[in-house]
Amino acid sequence: MSSKPISAHVNEQRDAPPARPAPAPWRDWLGVVPFFLFAFLFIVLPSVYLLIGAFRNSAGAFTLKNFADLFTPAILDAYWVTIRISAVTALAGGLLGFMMAYAVTVGGLPNWVRTILSTFSGVAANFAGVPLAFAFIATLGRTGMVTVFLKTVLGLDLYDQGFSLYSFWGLSLTYLYFQFPLMVLVITPALDGLKREWREAAENLGASTFQYWGRVALPILLPSILGSMILLFGNAFGAYATALSLTGGFINLVTIVIGSQIKGDILYNPGLGYALAVGMVIVMALAMLIYFSLRRRSERWLRQ
Amino acid sequence: MKARSSHARVGRLWAWLWVVLGALYFIVPLIATFDFSLRAKKGELTFLAYERIFKDPEFWRTFTFSLQMAFFAIVVSILLVVPTAYWIRLRLPRLRPMAEFISMLPFVVPAIVLVFGLIRVFSGPPFHLTNTFTGTNALLVAGYVVLALPYTYRAVDTGLAAIDVRTLTEAAQSLGAGWGTILFRVVFPNLRVAILSGAFLTLATVIGEYTLASFIVGIKAFGPYMSLVGQNRTYESASLAIISFLLTWAFMGLIQLFNRGHAEGQLAGAR
Amino acid sequence: MRTRKLSFRLVSLVILVTMLLMSCTSGQEGGVSADDDLVAAAKKEGMLTTIALPHDWCNYGEVIETFKSKYGIEVNELNPDAGSADEIEAIKANKNNKGPQAPDVIDVGVGFGPQLIAEGLVMPYKVATWDTIPADAKDPDGYWYGDYYGVLAFEVNKDVVQNVPQDWADLLKPEYKGQVALSGDPRASAQAQMSVYAAALANGGTLDNVEPGLEFFKKLNEVGNFVPVIAKQSTVAKGETPVIMRWDYNALADKEALAGNPEIEVVIPKTGVIAGVYIQAISAYAPHPNAAKLWMEFLYSDEGQLLWLKGGCHPIRYNDLAARNAIPDEIAAKLPPAEAYAKAVFPTIEQINAAKAVIAEKWMDVVGADVK
Repeated sequence: MSSKPISAHVNEQRDAPPARPAPAPWRDWLGVVPFFLFAFLFIVLPSVYLLIGAFRNSAGAFTLKNFADLFTPAILDAYWVTIRISAVTALAGGLLGFMMAYAVTVGGLPNWVRTILSTFSGVAANFAGVPLAFAFIATLGRTGMVTVFLKTVLGLDLYDQGFSLYSFWGLSLTYLYFQFPLMVLVITPALDGLKREWREAAENLGASTFQYWGRVALPILLPSILGSMILLFGNAFGAYATALSLTGGFINLVTIVIGSQIKGDILYNPGLGYALAVGMVIVMALAMLIYFSLRRRSERWLRQ
Repeated sequence: MKARSSHARVGRLWAWLWVVLGALYFIVPLIATFDFSLRAKKGELTFLAYERIFKDPEFWRTFTFSLQMAFFAIVVSILLVVPTAYWIRLRLPRLRPMAEFISMLPFVVPAIVLVFGLIRVFSGPPFHLTNTFTGTNALLVAGYVVLALPYTYRAVDTGLAAIDVRTLTEAAQSLGAGWGTILFRVVFPNLRVAILSGAFLTLATVIGEYTLASFIVGIKAFGPYMSLVGQNRTYESASLAIISFLLTWAFMGLIQLFNRGHAEGQLAGAR
Repeated sequence: MRTRKLSFRLVSLVILVTMLLMSCTSGQEGGVSADDDLVAAAKKEGMLTTIALPHDWCNYGEVIETFKSKYGIEVNELNPDAGSADEIEAIKANKNNKGPQAPDVIDVGVGFGPQLIAEGLVMPYKVATWDTIPADAKDPDGYWYGDYYGVLAFEVNKDVVQNVPQDWADLLKPEYKGQVALSGDPRASAQAQMSVYAAALANGGTLDNVEPGLEFFKKLNEVGNFVPVIAKQSTVAKGETPVIMRWDYNALADKEALAGNPEIEVVIPKTGVIAGVYIQAISAYAPHPNAAKLWMEFLYSDEGQLLWLKGGCHPIRYNDLAARNAIPDEIAAKLPPAEAYAKAVFPTIEQINAAKAVIAEKWMDVVGADVK
């Protein structure tokens, strides 16, 4: 018995052994022109100013100082905090979102639950910024509904115990509100793709639920799970409005520092703001490199 | 036999547990906001804040405008992303990392940089997009498509991972289908759930979006309208948050209904 | 036939009289009325694009509506939440754009005046009432001109806080634990920066030394009174941040908007009273320069200035209006008492910009580091 997961065998039998693929004819490239043209026109071109601006100081002259300034402790700390909160909420949101998506797809719940969850997730995934911050203030702030409830009914004073909504963990909790619906929405199609036949085949071969998940389902789902988590990471990494409304710049996040350089009411230094944004692109690229290598490993035996 | 049905029952209990926990986490903050929105009059619970919003013609005007923009953004997104993701999976797998990286760029380019970049590039020569009403709205739609790109691309890509693209294509080709038929009668229907997810996310992105709208069309769009209300009308802003949440949810329900007429799930991925 | 001729004459007579009356009444405002040529040119342009004008900030909502109905010119409002830097960036990004994204007029903090001129972003214009604008609140060549000012005050939710603080030192008292907040990020928001500046004045600092202000907030954070959230009307009303610091006119606008639900008190602190001036300017790349000039004439006419006064702001021509007894009593009653203003300190542009730089640089170290 080979050590490969069962589904790999199933896939192998279905695919005709692939002939060595000929290099794609130029006509194939036409198919992707619209997308890349759109990306060039509407993402790359507008961002060119960002790149140029990162090399300019307030007088407009060429300088590398903005990039040098990235290595000051305050800014390095900002990157670190932002990466931490993005990773934490990507993991937590990914796990919770996966469990929710599982519950409504494979878990055998009635259809109407799934409809409600997916439509609700659509809205919740973008319920960010000022309304979300206020909703959480109204729930878990010092005068929040839950805080007051816990204090009066259970005698438990959250804030005395050291909890504060206006902290790293409070902000993470708030971020989850849009992170895990996003996970639900994005992973549901993958869960739908888990064929019932595979489960039945596994059970026929004597696999327990645990073994099915560990050796069939999760390995198949892993590339999609990773992809969704990197999306969550990026989503949290670029979040600005929620953090600003909730912790008002007192938690040192890169997006907030950029905002104060570019949008502030002081004699601002947009060059530094642009350099910070370029730094974000680099961090994102690094994160994606890690993701690509992890995914390549997980897809290796899927031969898609 | 018995083991399997009790298996299923335990599984279902587990599923319900997660749904209930999730529902609690989602609903409680909304309840807190709702409770606050009912307090427009001191000491009593009233829907006054809601009345004021519904009576405001600007609310209807801006919501309709943003809804229209969302519709165009969804259509453009889907037409742009689905064929591309499909094609890359099928023929140009080496381009996949590049496409994914591009799809993530909107996360790291701050919206304020994007909007000024768009204005700079497209308001002057040779595009002159902002000289006409339609041109300005087109620019706004393009911006929205960019903002929603990470979500739509990821949703579609995940959907493609779950179906066997190669076999489907070969089967269709062997039956004599051209590319148009393959795309619109094989790929799209099989990606129904993924496309819907992308559409939901685009809709929600557009309705609440602030930065792009505020600099391109100003208070004509719903996001800036919400900000205007939020600045100095406390109870109305809470009621507005609830209203926009419910309305957006309702529209998604409509989209979902539109999908209901067809078989749930996908041809190649039945549960 | 005869009746038709008669009615025709009657109608033209009525029109003539109406026009005469209208021109007469427009002549009664501020002594000088907007030039008819300017009005005609502005109407021809048909639109004015503004930016960063929240409707309850100095009663801008009514100002815009009055302008629209008076001259029939459409007003295209961009980003009502923009900060001064956003407005400047909007001018720069729209240099080649004659469309509705390019702001015609801007309203920014006084500290930005020199930059506007240095970067060639604004065009000079002197309104009809130019001479009644105080000399230290305008650029002598007419590139920018002060529009209104206010002082930093405490906005207190009286339903939550029984003992209303009267001065900066009161804020450190243990009874205000977890209740005091700023209305912005001091690294980016003028209101928040001026709060720190004012705290400096009240704690041994001067207009040139803002460090005591940072120390004050550090202490406020250490004793647990400081809430690290950006306070807005909603957080005050909820009781989450019942004591906040903002411009007195914004606090007064909140008080009026909330109308007792909850009860708000606006307190000008006994010490450390700092005044902040905002300035108007016309964009050098304005697509509708005549509409912009007409807007300025309107703002600086008595009518415009009084509309701002209605919003609780001190219009820049306040002294002139008061001297001519042009302020109706019910509007005058909306302002805080004049004695509180007697102690108001007006920092110069250089002092403001220097203080801002220090605050922006040191805020995270002094206060932020403790908030985790």
